[in-house]
Amino acid sequence: MSAATLIAREEWRLLLRNRAGLIATGLLVLLILVASFTSLERRSAIAADRDRYQTSVDRDFDAQPDRHPHRMVHYGQFVFRPIAPLAFFDAGVDGFTGNTILLEGHRQNSANFAEARQSSLLMRFGQLTPAFVLQTLAPLLLIFLGFASVARETERATLRLMLAQGIGGRSLLAGKLLGHGAIALAVGAPAFAVLIGFVITGSAAWPTIMLMIAGYAGWLLLWAFLSVVVSAFAGRPRDALAILIGLWLVMVVLLPRALPVMAAAQTPLATNIETEIALHRDLLEVGDSHDPDDPYFNDFREDVLARYGVETIEELPVQYAGLVSIEGERLTTQIYADAARRQAAREARQNGLVYRFALASPLIAIRQLSMALAGSDIAAHRDFLDQAEAFRYDFVQRLNRMQAVLIPGIEGDDPRIAAANWRTIPRFSYTRPNPYDRIGALVWPAGILLGWLIAILATAMIAARRIERSAR
Amino acid sequence: MNPLGAETRLFLRSGRNIAALLLLLVLSATAVWAGIAEVANQRAAIERVAQEQARDLAAVEDANAGPQGDAGYVAYYAFMLTQDPPPPLAFAAIGQRDLQPYLLRVRALGLEAQLYDSEAYNPELALPGVFDWAFVLIYLLPLVVIALGHDLVTGERETGRLRLLLSLPGDGLWRRRAVLRYAAVLAALVIPLLVGGAIMAAPAGGIAVLILTAVLYCAFWFGLTLLAGAAMRTSATAATAMVGCWIMLTLVLPTLGNAAIARAVPVAKGIDLTLAQREVVHRGWDIPKEQTFERFFVSHPEWRGREEFEGRFHWKWYYAMHQVGDEAVAEDAAEYRASLERREDLTRALGFVLPSVGSMNVVHRIADTDIEGQLAYRDSIAAFHARLRAFYYPYLFADRPFTRADFAMIPRYSVRTAQGSLGVWPLAILALAALLMIGLGARRVSRLGGEGSARTG
Repeated sequence: MSAATLIAREEWRLLLRNRAGLIATGLLVLLILVASFTSLERRSAIAADRDRYQTSVDRDFDAQPDRHPHRMVHYGQFVFRPIAPLAFFDAGVDGFTGNTILLEGHRQNSANFAEARQSSLLMRFGQLTPAFVLQTLAPLLLIFLGFASVARETERATLRLMLAQGIGGRSLLAGKLLGHGAIALAVGAPAFAVLIGFVITGSAAWPTIMLMIAGYAGWLLLWAFLSVVVSAFAGRPRDALAILIGLWLVMVVLLPRALPVMAAAQTPLATNIETEIALHRDLLEVGDSHDPDDPYFNDFREDVLARYGVETIEELPVQYAGLVSIEGERLTTQIYADAARRQAAREARQNGLVYRFALASPLIAIRQLSMALAGSDIAAHRDFLDQAEAFRYDFVQRLNRMQAVLIPGIEGDDPRIAAANWRTIPRFSYTRPNPYDRIGALVWPAGILLGWLIAILATAMIAARRIERSAR
Repeated sequence: MNPLGAETRLFLRSGRNIAALLLLLVLSATAVWAGIAEVANQRAAIERVAQEQARDLAAVEDANAGPQGDAGYVAYYAFMLTQDPPPPLAFAAIGQRDLQPYLLRVRALGLEAQLYDSEAYNPELALPGVFDWAFVLIYLLPLVVIALGHDLVTGERETGRLRLLLSLPGDGLWRRRAVLRYAAVLAALVIPLLVGGAIMAAPAGGIAVLILTAVLYCAFWFGLTLLAGAAMRTSATAATAMVGCWIMLTLVLPTLGNAAIARAVPVAKGIDLTLAQREVVHRGWDIPKEQTFERFFVSHPEWRGREEFEGRFHWKWYYAMHQVGDEAVAEDAAEYRASLERREDLTRALGFVLPSVGSMNVVHRIADTDIEGQLAYRDSIAAFHARLRAFYYPYLFADRPFTRADFAMIPRYSVRTAQGSLGVWPLAILALAALLMIGLGARRVSRLGGEGSARTG
């Protein structure tokens, strides 16, 4: 057996004798399991709720009586964002985004009833998910288990003894890294087992889960290795502990919280009210369909008359107001889409600033990787909004076409079309985004985690050389 | 030489002590600065929107004003702005103001379809939580206390001075050391708050409550640190134990508490009432208009007898229909509100057990930036909406023309006064926890003296 594995085994033996360490490890594992099961339950409750609501509003839509189609345009359709299966593991921004929108004609309503807006400030302490435990708490445990690994030997002068016995600095550090790396993976194992169990029940795909496990394994190894390396440089265990807790504080707590302040100051978002007012103005600039002398809508009328080969609106086989509605919807939707794109770009610029600091705070890297794989990141939310908007435009235009085509054939001053028509309007069917479509969102965080690991291991080499020099 | 002066010099000789204090000072100052910046952002947004809104309203006026103007159109097109400017203490405790709307436009249509709308915010920026003075107080202050206090006793033991110190005549050595560290930490935390308070012209009473909370919360952590420091053999175990306490009190237990509260108190009534309101309002188009008026007159008897009109549509019926929609879901709305309050109550109860949560509650309650503050804003919007409706009804039901002069009469939202309140009980419980910890810590430390003199004597 090589010197390195002997040293690693010694670390494990010490850990088994360290009662506080074992209790802390046991607590963390317990917390991961508790988080997994409560979060699984919560996720399925949310999924069932949203599914139930979606079914019920779809039924309500079908049950509407004979009406003028424009009434249905404003009755609209509620859509509920189905929660991603892996959101139990990492809830991501799901609790911070509204998950239901009323889709109606020529209005863009906000997604409402975000959990964070309905919770006390307690929610800002963190959400109990396996991701929270692994990202925030597990590094602290690994610090506690590893801070003394080398510094202990330095302080007690057992290091000199070992070096004198012919164990090289390299094998010493390799052994410590091996020992604590294995401990880190053991700490993550229960969470990984939960993830694998999730694949076996058919709720997730193998590649996603394996990437998730690889990401978290890298994150945990990062902290185990960092503890050993800092321990090798610090003279006393206390100093190593202080430095490591300081690093944890800056990388895990401080930067992730402080960076958003910078991002928000650098790129302010436009309020919905400003967007709405600007939109109204833009729309009036294009044309006012109520104004009989409006040049845009005069051209539109001439076009329509020419297309149907008639002289006056009354001769049209379709309802002219319905055609104007179709055209109006097309115009508003374009303007809304522009505004939404601009807002998304601002958000992306804000988030981009935060991501750039992932080099200093790899927590940001693992957080983004985990959210992207879990399908609970902001891109997945945006994708839902886009799908909802595309769906909105489609069904509103179908109703507008019903108005144009069916209303002229109906007598009376209160024309309504048959309720059976509502059942021909499609229902929202959500396509889950594929995380591999946005491969970049997976590559950069993985690259940063890998870069950190390499940098730490390179520093370990320097530490090993330093230890060897100290022996001479 | 004055013993306190000597202790001070000794304390400042340690690079670690100075570094920890400076770090706290810098963090506290940065947090206060960030809070002020956020308040400035929100004020600027309110300013911007108010200007846009004024122009928008003027455009509505131009489009609809005339000698025979119809109030129905005006009420439909004229959105009125409501706003909730940052309260004076928000710079120290932003609370939920990063994601709760502080701007909302309403019109005389059904309130329940407007009240829960969101403003734009970036969920990914909101995810890690806000960076403000309250965060430094609740999370970071304890760590600095631990850094400065954990080896008060063990450090002396490790350098072999403990027996000597314990055998020295006179008492008050540990008290002096602890009080000195306590005062230094508190100063580093509070000085930036005082400066920020002066810049923001915050009320002295409110700042005093924030400081009192800091005094008590800091005392709690000092007591706990003394206790652990005196009970443990080595500095490393003392530090480990204390950081363990910190993890439990600020990370694990609040998170478990939140999960438990979210589970115990569902808030689905918000969605229920939104869906129900839509059904009622849209059914209004399909039922005889008399039915809608009948329900409307139950709460608005003063307009009975004015419901007749010619043709298929009249705005008075339209607005009555919207009002009936609101009234139909009043019970659901009350239940929804009650569920939010219940979550807040449970959080308060948790604060009686966890000083971290207790301090969080006190500072955000006095700052008026918690759920309660948001609910108060919603109430003020509802009251304004009622005024707005009441303003339009005479035009609609008495067929009064809406002229340009009437535009100036449309009620304007007046900003609610911040209702930050002093949580007496939470503070009292926090004081109790602080006293208890200080007492336990002091007793444990004084027993050390007994051991020492027994050994040396």
